[in-house]
Amino acid sequence: MIPSDHFTRFYNEVFKFLESKGQEDLDLYWLEISKNQEKHILDLIRTKGLQGMYEYWSVIEEEENCELDLMVDDEHLELHMHGCPSLAKVMDNDAAPMTRYCDHCAGWIGPIMDKTGYHLVYDVISRTEPRCVMRIFKDADKAKEAEKSVQLLMGWPGKKAAT
Amino acid sequence: MQKRPETPLRYQEEGNVHLDFHGAVNTTIDFIVERYGVEVLHEIFAKVGRDVYVDLRRHMLEGHPEELVRHWRHFFTRENADYDIAVSEDEIVLTVRRCTAYHHVAKISPSVSAHFCDQTTKVNEAIAEGTPYRIDTEITGPGACRQIIRRRA
Repeated sequence: MIPSDHFTRFYNEVFKFLESKGQEDLDLYWLEISKNQEKHILDLIRTKGLQGMYEYWSVIEEEENCELDLMVDDEHLELHMHGCPSLAKVMDNDAAPMTRYCDHCAGWIGPIMDKTGYHLVYDVISRTEPRCVMRIFKDADKAKEAEKSVQLLMGWPGKKAAT
Repeated sequence: MQKRPETPLRYQEEGNVHLDFHGAVNTTIDFIVERYGVEVLHEIFAKVGRDVYVDLRRHMLEGHPEELVRHWRHFFTRENADYDIAVSEDEIVLTVRRCTAYHHVAKISPSVSAHFCDQTTKVNEAIAEGTPYRIDTEITGPGACRQIIRRRA
């Protein structure tokens, strides 16, 4: 058994293999993970909207031992990750980190937001620092406006952004 | 004589566990096997054994399989598995009667991949590769196995 605690280091090896095959292969994988994640979050979004997302990421905060601030209002959800355990473990690793490791988060979350009619603005800030800011809007124009102030905007399958 | 305090494992973990990661492993296994074949999956697991668990390999190379025993105890206990470890002069046997990973996937996923337990077999093989020990993994049932460390002949 690869312990669930070590999943991210396994994930990192998978990413490195897929990156060697090309971006399309990475995109297909993120779509597969996105589909897998639907069973944990899709009903929450469909029944409770932004509040459902708040519930989902509250569980993640606790179970994954994240240092983060989470807030929600009628218009948007905002997550400020101050200590991402996923990237931190990949950096604290005897195997080399995949240089675009952070891209997987928007890679699976983005397609779910597209599917449910929300608008994701994912600012990774830096791919070597375990922190990021995720904003999810009901309104597309507000998301567009928020994109103007990000430092490193993430894309996902179907939406190009950073390189 | 005072007992020396144990040094932490290379990847010691505290805090909560997020068992749903095992579901993502299951999805990943099926994705890799369907698109690239089982040999690629096994090579990825071998990289985990060789490149991620460098410290466990180092201990095995230096004749200290007990570090792997500490690793097993730490993580199987964290995941609340039903297991025991028997250490004798000739071999070390980890008996897993109920693997938390397997049973969690069975609960949350449509099916458990036929290759789910390859993660154990192949990572173990890679940790032992080139060391004085071998690790044999015997799958004894759904979510049950024996993992045996023996000195190579």
